[in-house]
Amino acid sequence: MSTDYAYDEEGHLWPFFVFTLTSIVTVPITYSLIKSSRNDPAAALKRIHTDYEHDQSSVVDTLRKSEKRKDGSKPWLIALVIAGWAVMGYMLYLIKTTDAPVQNLWNPYDILGISESATEKVIKKTYKMLSLKFHPDKARPDASKNETIDDLNRRYVEISKAYQALTDEEVRNNFIQFGNPDGKQGFSINIALPKAIVSDGNGKYIVLIYFALFGVLLPYLVGSWWYGTLRRSKEGVLMESANRLFKEYQDNIDEGGVVAALSSGQEFEDLFKGDKADAGLSKIESKVMASDELPPKEKKKLEDVESGPRRMALALLWAYLGRIELGDATLEKAKFQVAPIAHALNKSFNAIALAYMNTAPLLASYFASQRLIQAIPPKASPLYQLPHFNSAIVQAVEGDSRVHTTVQAFMDQPDAKRRSLVVGKGLLTDAQYKESIAYAKQLPYLRVAKAFFKVTGEKFIIPSSLVTLVVKGRFVPPGSEKVPDVTPIDLEDIDPAEDDLDAILGRKKTKKLVGKDEKGKPIYEETTESEDVYPPLASSPYFARDHSPRWHVFLTDSKQGRVAVPPFTFVSFDRPIYESDGKTPTFAMQTLKAQFQAPPQAGHYTFVMHVVCDSYVGFDTKMEVTLVVEDASQAAEMKVEEEISEPEEDSIAGIMNAAKGAPTKQRVVKDEEDSDEESGTDDDEDDDTSDTNTDTEPEN
Amino acid sequence: MFSLDWRGLVLPFAYLIVLTGTFMTFSTIYRKRKAQQSANLAPWFGPHLQRNVYLSLLHMEPETGSEKAPKVSESVLRAALLRRAVEDIHRIIQIRAAKAACSSLLQRGSIGDDLWQRFQRAEKEMEEELRDVVMEANALAPNWGQSIFQTANEIAANTVLRERLDEIQAQVTQEKEWWEKRRATVRSEFMKELEGEETGTGTPVDSSSVTSSPSRKKGKN
Repeated sequence: MSTDYAYDEEGHLWPFFVFTLTSIVTVPITYSLIKSSRNDPAAALKRIHTDYEHDQSSVVDTLRKSEKRKDGSKPWLIALVIAGWAVMGYMLYLIKTTDAPVQNLWNPYDILGISESATEKVIKKTYKMLSLKFHPDKARPDASKNETIDDLNRRYVEISKAYQALTDEEVRNNFIQFGNPDGKQGFSINIALPKAIVSDGNGKYIVLIYFALFGVLLPYLVGSWWYGTLRRSKEGVLMESANRLFKEYQDNIDEGGVVAALSSGQEFEDLFKGDKADAGLSKIESKVMASDELPPKEKKKLEDVESGPRRMALALLWAYLGRIELGDATLEKAKFQVAPIAHALNKSFNAIALAYMNTAPLLASYFASQRLIQAIPPKASPLYQLPHFNSAIVQAVEGDSRVHTTVQAFMDQPDAKRRSLVVGKGLLTDAQYKESIAYAKQLPYLRVAKAFFKVTGEKFIIPSSLVTLVVKGRFVPPGSEKVPDVTPIDLEDIDPAEDDLDAILGRKKTKKLVGKDEKGKPIYEETTESEDVYPPLASSPYFARDHSPRWHVFLTDSKQGRVAVPPFTFVSFDRPIYESDGKTPTFAMQTLKAQFQAPPQAGHYTFVMHVVCDSYVGFDTKMEVTLVVEDASQAAEMKVEEEISEPEEDSIAGIMNAAKGAPTKQRVVKDEEDSDEESGTDDDEDDDTSDTNTDTEPEN
Repeated sequence: MFSLDWRGLVLPFAYLIVLTGTFMTFSTIYRKRKAQQSANLAPWFGPHLQRNVYLSLLHMEPETGSEKAPKVSESVLRAALLRRAVEDIHRIIQIRAAKAACSSLLQRGSIGDDLWQRFQRAEKEMEEELRDVVMEANALAPNWGQSIFQTANEIAANTVLRERLDEIQAQVTQEKEWWEKRRATVRSEFMKELEGEETGTGTPVDSSSVTSSPSRKKGKN
């Protein structure tokens, strides 16, 4: 029997096919669209509560909103989804209205009106009864049913045929086995394409469609994707901008230099096309030059830049950083537009600085990011971050001191002192003062309590092992009162138990460390709070984008001025930062962990650890940490000794030491003496192998 | 006995010819464009002023009217060559520092391919430039080629150091002024305090203003 393919001539299959295909595409896109429109990621994030508005707040707000609109809705995608649903609906309608052809198989049982399980006896009996009833000699045509003699004849023939089939052994077997009296049947496969596609006249159109799909659309999509990736660098800036930034890089660049470098981005050329590059430039420049906030070096640099988009961008950037009023709606708008672009370019510059592994440019890049977000010129006081603070007020706080007062230092002063400094004629009003203080008391300042190195499950750090830098710190907003003391237990990082696979593999754990029992074993408490806690969006009244603050932790070698361990970036934290009202800090101890490879030689390595927040000025921590790498064999010996002398009390002493060491920030506890005893066996094995290795080496 | 239907073969051959023809034109145009693009890439370094000075000294054109070119003294030539070597040292340091960063950034896709091409070309040019300087030095004085870059290196390091010193020196007047002012305010405050003590109503001195010290701007970082 032949199997032949038939096209869907009646058109009852291809709607199913088309329906399935469209639903595969449409349903996921619809889901993602609905999901993205429902939870705007920025709206879900907390913000710092303040009603503060500066003169240009409305401009910044409109820019923010227009950016969001650009990001959020893609009209062509919505159109695609609507078209998809329309096609699906039409296909459903087609499926409903066209009846599927019923395959009428000749079934002798049905004709005789008996069940398929009937025995031969029953068959014979039924046949006899039916033949008595329907024999053309006996039956009369029923005029009411419009019957004729022929009909009666035909019915009788059918009945006798069915009887013959059922009494014939072979035919009956065929029927039972294959469902057909003739034996096995060929089956036909229908292709769910309408016949119109293959009919003669339409061939050329089909070829045309194929050509359009594979010859035009596919190369176009692949090409646009490929050239799109070539056009932009990994950091999302134009490749040409990245190239220029690389050329602008200098080993001794400072924040001002970074800002000048950022103005070389090609993005600004797109922003200031043609006439826009010069419109109002002289006005901006005269105002920028008149401002005394800007360092003279940068003013000179601005004068040296060739006229054109770059000069415009640089002038506007300085106007933005210096918060200079330009007195012109379009210029004001441009002023707030350049900062987010510069910030995006700074990401690329940051990657370049990191590739050079020099500390100064990397820090300059981070600091430039802070300044751009907060709209404060380089070398200017961090106090400008607070609402209503202008140069007169900053001057009143700082006096003629050359060291800038940080927000923390200002807020640490008693309230009466603060008030006497900044409230007064020409300074802040009482309401403004209150607003500023309330604002400052919400800023997420990460105060580092302790930083140390450890190797998970080991007592000592041996050469080339995978070291974890553990940074413990709390979010203590400036001017917080009644900050609870750090409990020693919070400062420890206890390894997960060896049978706790989830924790070892870094899966989400719902256990929270609450204390230790008398034997020094950690006690956990089941908690239901979610793992990732995001800090509120960076509060930046002048920056026309929503930005989530990030904390970068990295180690540098202070003698060589080089980065020793590249930055680890933290966006979320493991414990809540604020209470549910979003204002009151919890002072929960946060743990930041970064893993890197220990140096291959034993010794004491002193690094400078930087914890840099990219959104707030003056919230950085810089402290010295020492990494003690023990020789593998020596570490093994020391371990044996310790285990013999005082096995358990030792661990408690260790905690006490840690607790004492904690307040003096710059002390580092090199070895956590309370680490698991069981891990000792693993150690010894490792040490053994390394010993044998060193022994065998000379022989080779 | 065996006849070919030449006419029937016209179509397949035409197809082949068109196909190969398209490919060949495409590839030649593509390559030409690529070559043109890489030839048009901006050079890594700006014009080499010192080299231009040296070369123009070496090949002085005879002035109009006179037959012979003006003679440049040997010492001037040597000085010009040394200046050229110093500039080369600056450039080499820049290239060496940038090489590792550039290649790692290229691998990560943080910078473009054409920058890397420019960089490689600059590197090659520098090699040739060094060889050229050594040859020129040997021509001016025997065996000078071996030591000219050592000398140039010292000069370059010295220049960098001196620039930094100048930068620090430039701040001296500013710092001095500030200190004078500071001293004056502190003194006047003390005087006030003393007077206050004499009259019996002493006002405490603002402790923060006394203890705060100026930021020492270091040359590095």
